[in-house]
Order: sequence, then structure tokens, then C-alpha cells
Amino acid sequence: MTKHIALAVLLSATALATPALAQTVPDNLEKLSQFQSTGASLDIPTIQQDPAKAAAINKILSQIKLPSGFRIQLYAIVPDARHMAVGPQGIVTFVGTRKNKVYAVTDRDKNRVADEVKVFAPSINMKIPNGVCFSKDGFLYVAEQNRVLLFPAAEFFYESPDVAAFSVVKQGELIPPTEESFNHTARVCRVGPDDKLYITLGQPFNVPAKDKLDLYAKVGMSGIIRMDRDGKNREVYATGVRNSVGMDFNPKDKTLWFTDNQVDGMGDDQPPGELNRATQAGLNFGFPYYGGGKTRTDEYKTDTPPADVVFPQVEMAAHAADLGMMFYTGTQFPAKYRGGIFSAQHGSWNRTKPVGARVMFTSLKEDGTADKTEPFAEGWLSNNGEYFGRPVDVAQLPDGSLLVSDDLVGALYRISYGN
Amino acid sequence: MRIFVLFFAVISATAAAGPCAAQDAAAGRQKAILCQACHGLDGLAKIPGAPNLAGQVKDYLVKAMTDYKTGARKNEMMSVLMQQVSDADIELLASYYASLTVPAKPAQ
Repeated sequence: MTKHIALAVLLSATALATPALAQTVPDNLEKLSQFQSTGASLDIPTIQQDPAKAAAINKILSQIKLPSGFRIQLYAIVPDARHMAVGPQGIVTFVGTRKNKVYAVTDRDKNRVADEVKVFAPSINMKIPNGVCFSKDGFLYVAEQNRVLLFPAAEFFYESPDVAAFSVVKQGELIPPTEESFNHTARVCRVGPDDKLYITLGQPFNVPAKDKLDLYAKVGMSGIIRMDRDGKNREVYATGVRNSVGMDFNPKDKTLWFTDNQVDGMGDDQPPGELNRATQAGLNFGFPYYGGGKTRTDEYKTDTPPADVVFPQVEMAAHAADLGMMFYTGTQFPAKYRGGIFSAQHGSWNRTKPVGARVMFTSLKEDGTADKTEPFAEGWLSNNGEYFGRPVDVAQLPDGSLLVSDDLVGALYRISYGN
Repeated sequence: MRIFVLFFAVISATAAAGPCAAQDAAAGRQKAILCQACHGLDGLAKIPGAPNLAGQVKDYLVKAMTDYKTGARKNEMMSVLMQQVSDADIELLASYYASLTVPAKPAQ
């Protein structure tokens, strides 16, 4: 009898095996950090850029409305495309996913359409490697669900399956493993003007229970953390954030701006989405006392919120899901756009009539605060509410054009101005 | 294993479908706007953590949605969402997703 059970356990363990097994064989990450070969196949999996599929996507893009003089075209077919990091040398763009892969996208002939999309660092098992970001000196960081990887000279090594790789934050140390969830678990990262690594940490709930608040405040979940680029001196930078999946520093005044996704289940038109500005460390942005903007959550409506809550610079459409954002530093676009913010709205998942699925533009005043916000690219949402795309992130190519990622279609688009 | 389950689900859904079911399914497609972001209009999951619904057994879908609505089953997203869905719409949604076919093949 016991034998039978043992056999059954063994069999089911084998059936479930791949992830468990991967941990028992010598760890590839360890080998790569010693500059050892893993024996990974030199035949790196690539994503076919199927002309028929590309034509279908370009047909959708022909319906997208843009200001006069701008055009949008398919740049690359990239499955599950989420956040993007354009290499400082302009050779390759890395694209994170909410699955288990990071893709490397290369435009070899520089015709502004990528020729090659292949899996980056295929010998490393990744889990929700959504956040990708570069330091100015070419170090690529990948923020996974519960680990942070570093690839020095990623743009140099990426042609090979084995890439120099290190863990900046070890598996299980970004958040307490007990708090791992499939919800609000996609991170984004940036290297700040202080040369520290900033990472957003969403909390798993719509509105968390009170007994979770102390833990989240301590580890910086429901906030933004920062650390030295080697992972040391970790600290909580901002609190009171529900689930930020987009941030960038204003190169002009070094303030950190970030989007935040707000509470569900309070009706179609509240609370608003947020674009926030952190002018210094230690600020509280109001969640869970506020569910978005100045709307109080039902769960905390009798509690006294912190006195010094910082309210958003911009209140966005309710449930539109503001995700990736960036400051435009190029010169290809007209003067109006220079120094302003592009941000992507993924589109609502729970609104009776969907909203979002567009790229927004926010201009700034002389004093560095938000001025006006308006749609920049829209048309991925049909009149009857069907999605033809869901923008996730925006990134700038070296020529000053704008990349937009879409995880529904699985593609990157390029928006350019003029010829 | 999951592929097998899906395969049988498709067969039984097809067997159960009558003309009335087809009308319900058509009406359900409109309602599925509320589900598309995660489960897709095609019933194939668009986000990690959401299941494929294409070809799922109708009665099972009705029960799952009802359980989220009543609180018998809990999920951060579904518990919030189902509060705004009527029992009649649950029927339509279940009919729609049950009516979808997927090209599932048993593993070699």
C-alpha cells in the first residue's frame, strides 16, 4: 500500500517536473555569473515575422488616429510584449513579458522595422520578467516577480545563448514569498539620476486587509523601492501606491513620475487613474485610504488617512489602466512634445463600456507640474467595445521615434513624425 | 492532461448545442466584452492566472460565475467583476464560451 502511494507520488512528481527539476540541476545563472558556458543550444529560438500576420496588424494600425504629421507602423511581432528597454547603443531593444521570456528585438538593416526577434538569455528560467531597464552605461536589469537579474553588456552578449548574468536580488528576496500572487505582480524598473535602481512593487489585492499594511510598508510593497545597483542599501522610496506599472524620471528636474492603477468595484466612473510625481523620498500617495485621486475606499472610509498624502498630478479616466510612461527627450517630434510625458493606457478589464487602449500625452508647466493631458494615439478599441490591441509601454528609439508595445496583439509599433 | 480535458469539453459542448443555444451564444458575445481583457473574445486567456474558457462546459461556467457572485468562491478580480453581472447574463456568457471550439489535439 505505502509502496503504491510512493509510486503515485513519484509519478505525479515526474509529470509536474520541469520547474522543480530545473532547480536540482546545476543552476545556469550560477554558471553564467562565473562566465561559464551552460551548453545551451546555439540555435536560439526566434519569432517568425510572418508577412500575412504583419499585414493584418498593419491593417489594424491604419485605423489608429494620431495628430497630423504622425504615422504608426508595425515594428516587430513580439508575443506577450510588455515593458521595453532600448539599448543605449541603439542596437537592440529588450522586451519583457508576463510569462517566462525576455525578447531581443533587432533592426539590422535600419529600415525602422525589426528584422529579428529572438529569446534573450534562453538558458535562464525566468518568471514574469516584465520589467526591463538600462543604466546609461549599458547594464540591463530585469525585474521578475520575485528576483532581479543583471546583464552587464547585454547589447554586446545577446547574440549568444549564454550571456553574462548575475542576480542583484536573489529569488524570494524581492518580496516575501508568502506574498507572491498572480495579481499585480508585474514590476517595472528604472535606473535613477542618483544611479540607484528603482523598482515598483504592487500589492496583490484590490484593497488589502489591515493586517497586511505593516508588512507591505516595511518591504515596500504597495510602493516603490530603490537600492544600489548591486542590490545593497535597499530602502522604501514611496508608499501608498496600489500597483504602479510605469515610471520615469524627468531629466529636467530629476523628479520621479509614475502611473498607478486604482481600485476596482466602485462603479464605472470612479475612482480615477493616476499620474503621480515624487519630488523626494518618503512620500505617501494615499492608498489604501484613497482608492484613486481623492476618492476614499469603502474598506478604509472610517480610518484617518496620513495627513501628508500626495495627490496625483493628473487624474486619468477611471479603470483605463495607465501602465508604461516616459519623458520624451528626442527632437523628431514637434516642440510641443519635447520634455512632456507619453503614457500607455492598457484599457479597462471590468468596465461595462471599456475605456483606454490608447497612448496619452501630458505636457508640463514651467514649474515642472502637469499641465494638459490628451489622447495621442487611439483607435484600438472599437465602437462596440472590442479590443484590437492593448498598449502597455512606450519607449524612445535613438532617432526620436516612439515605440509602443501591445501584449494582446503581441507586437511593437513605431510612431514617427515627418519623413 | 489539460488538453484531454479541453478536448472532451469541446465534444460535449458541441453535442449539447441546439438552435436556442446558438442564439444565447450570439447574445453572450456582446456581454463577453466584460470578459475579453482576461479571457479573450476567443476564450483563450490573455493574462497569466486566467483560464481558457473556449469550449468549457456550460453548467460548470454557470456554477463558477455564480459562486464568484455569491462569494462561495473568491478571486481578487472575479469577485469584484461578478457583482455587476445578472443571472440572465451569466447564462448568456456561459452559452457563448461553451459554444466556442478549440482545435485541441491529444498529446502524441
